[in-house]
Amino acid sequence: MQTFTHFMKQILSWIAAVVIAAAICDILCFFFYDPLQDLPRSAGSTTGFLLPESRGVYGLEGYCVAKTDSFGYVNRDLPRADEYYVVAGASHTEGLFIDASERYSDLLNDSLYDDGRLHVINIGKSGNYFSVVLQHLDGILGEFPDAKGIIIETDSLCYDTKALYDSMAQAGYDPEETAASIVSSMSSRQKLTIKLKQSLPLIRLLHKQYFTFLESRQDPSGSDILDPEFWRSEYEGEFETALDDLMKFIRSKTDKQVIILYHPAVRLEENGSMTALTNNAEPYYERVCKNNGIDFIDMTGRFMQAYNEEHIIPYGFMNTTPGDGHINRYAHKMMAEELEKVIR
Amino acid sequence: MNSSSTSKKITNIILLLICYAFYGFFDLRALVMLAALSLFTYAGGSMIISSLKADDDKRAGMYAALCIAAQIGMLSYFKYAASVPLPVGMSFYMLMAISFLADCRKGKFPELPSITEVLIFISFFPTILSGPILKAHDFIPQINDRKRLTKERLTKGVWLVVIGLFMKLCLADRLAVSVDKVYATPLVYSGLTLFMTSVGYSLQLLFDFAGYSNMAIGVATLLGFDIPVNFNLPYMATNPSEFWSRWHISLSSWLKEYVYIPLGGNRKGTARTYINILLVMIISGLWHGSTVNFLIWGVLHGVGQMIHRAVCGNRKDAHGNTAIRILSMTANFLFVNFLWIPFRARDLSDTWTIVSRILTLSSGASYFYVYTFIFGITLIVVQFIGSKYFGGNDPIRPLPFDKLYSKVIFCTLLIATAMFAYFGSGAFIYSQF
Repeated sequence: MQTFTHFMKQILSWIAAVVIAAAICDILCFFFYDPLQDLPRSAGSTTGFLLPESRGVYGLEGYCVAKTDSFGYVNRDLPRADEYYVVAGASHTEGLFIDASERYSDLLNDSLYDDGRLHVINIGKSGNYFSVVLQHLDGILGEFPDAKGIIIETDSLCYDTKALYDSMAQAGYDPEETAASIVSSMSSRQKLTIKLKQSLPLIRLLHKQYFTFLESRQDPSGSDILDPEFWRSEYEGEFETALDDLMKFIRSKTDKQVIILYHPAVRLEENGSMTALTNNAEPYYERVCKNNGIDFIDMTGRFMQAYNEEHIIPYGFMNTTPGDGHINRYAHKMMAEELEKVIR
Repeated sequence: MNSSSTSKKITNIILLLICYAFYGFFDLRALVMLAALSLFTYAGGSMIISSLKADDDKRAGMYAALCIAAQIGMLSYFKYAASVPLPVGMSFYMLMAISFLADCRKGKFPELPSITEVLIFISFFPTILSGPILKAHDFIPQINDRKRLTKERLTKGVWLVVIGLFMKLCLADRLAVSVDKVYATPLVYSGLTLFMTSVGYSLQLLFDFAGYSNMAIGVATLLGFDIPVNFNLPYMATNPSEFWSRWHISLSSWLKEYVYIPLGGNRKGTARTYINILLVMIISGLWHGSTVNFLIWGVLHGVGQMIHRAVCGNRKDAHGNTAIRILSMTANFLFVNFLWIPFRARDLSDTWTIVSRILTLSSGASYFYVYTFIFGITLIVVQFIGSKYFGGNDPIRPLPFDKLYSKVIFCTLLIATAMFAYFGSGAFIYSQF
């Protein structure tokens, strides 16, 4: 009996220890990794919202305390101006790696106007790459009818002819589907799940770690998206026609200013130089965009100049590695400056 | 034959099978080589002991010299000449095989141990990949006299494994990301960045190797073996000689017992002592790798020890004054840190690039990895506690699981390991040597 009591005491004390340890680590997560909650949507300007008026912390790459507005985007809580620019793109635009005041959309907003209103609306969403943004063009135009212009950020121009045509297929737009309407239509169970996720960032971090571990076990070899041979043969085909059709398609949808903001990935070389990793599609984009009245900003030259003159590397953070991952505050600043030139 | 003896034989065979299965998992072809080397070592030991029993000391010495020369030749071939990669762990188990032959020659085994014991010793799975390097006369007697798994041993073993895992996955691998990146393109970065990255590598190497050693010692403890510590706050050393009594202790101890002392140690005059120190460090350098970088690393460590001995004599500890101790510690760390540059750099050209850019404070991209600072400061705090309250020794000790707080600390460390582990960095650094 005494042995059994001792055994049970041990079991209970181990359970208590696990619970206390998990609570300690969970509290730590609120300062390290506490991501915003995704709200998927069926159609519209993006593939999803973020939980409106919530707060998140991202410390795995760079560091950012992010807040969402009442619309489910990562904008500062300011009243929208009567006319504004909409900035669409993927995680670089969403910018959950640096302080909100350092993102190119916010820098641009502050440099254009100083009236306490939002003149640049950031609808960046992780995973909304160039082709995905284009598929949501109807949604953007429907949701933001007062937009003066649309800025589409992309870190890649690696789209073949088929992908260019595919990006014209529109996801549609439902004006009734807002972040607020999605939240209000949630069941109690869904709301409870979100509350639990918000209270237990540890679980989400461990989940993320598990998938990172699985990915690290996979064979890293694969097709090189920047293979020049593939793109050379691609350009010799119907590529330019497809690109022209895509730009014409954009123009058929709107006569507002459209800016494609392209920033290539970079690689640091053994000889101390930096190389922009492109597939040499820039001249095609420049030519076709110009013919269709679309602004094309290529950050390659600006990035190279910053590196060659000031040793500034546009990608990477002090808790990751230089040249890898997402654009840092230096790149955001350069991109804001280049956008400002085109907008004015 | 009594039942206890039979049971020991069966458990030994099971342990041997586990050792071979573990090693075979990494490299099946090298397993054949390991088995062949072990049998060769056993046969060599058998001939040496037979000769000693026949009072033929000369023949025993000849057998020992021939067998050890063959082993060194084989290791040298794979390390420096062969086009195939060095079988994993060979540098470690070869030293252990040499230790067995040398111990036989020195008469430390009046009777020849069983073949199973010798095979277990050379292939002992917790240590085969990266040490600690075991000595035959310390380890083989433990095989048939293994300690029972008491509560204390369980506690110690489990703690060491978890601490080692944390050091490897969360500290070393995270630092490796930055170190690998900067060392791949040193011309990109400023002198200050390169210096901070060299500090990052000093920390990475410590956490990686000490982490593995902790895990190995922990698993060995659970299996009933006692293996001495391999690291004891090495960056707290105040001079190069003290550093080698705190860093990779099993290698230093092996070199001392099987190279330095047989060469005459410090018993044959000052000049010979210096030559012996230099020789030992050159051997240590060449054991780590075949490039000129490792030779330079070994020579400079030898020169550092010679200078220290010339100035301070035989004493390894620093003077009592705290300020002088801190200054000596810093100076010694900078010396050791500086020598890790050729150890890590790809080749002599990269070494020169890094060193010259640091010394001339060259301009370049600024990148200061935040984890180098965090882990560096943490290590300084641990060293301060070790210095203040533990007589200069590692203060991290297994806590008994009787108390709730120790269970909480243990579980927190386990969850923190899963939270902060960096996946994708890969192998233990020392398994390459």
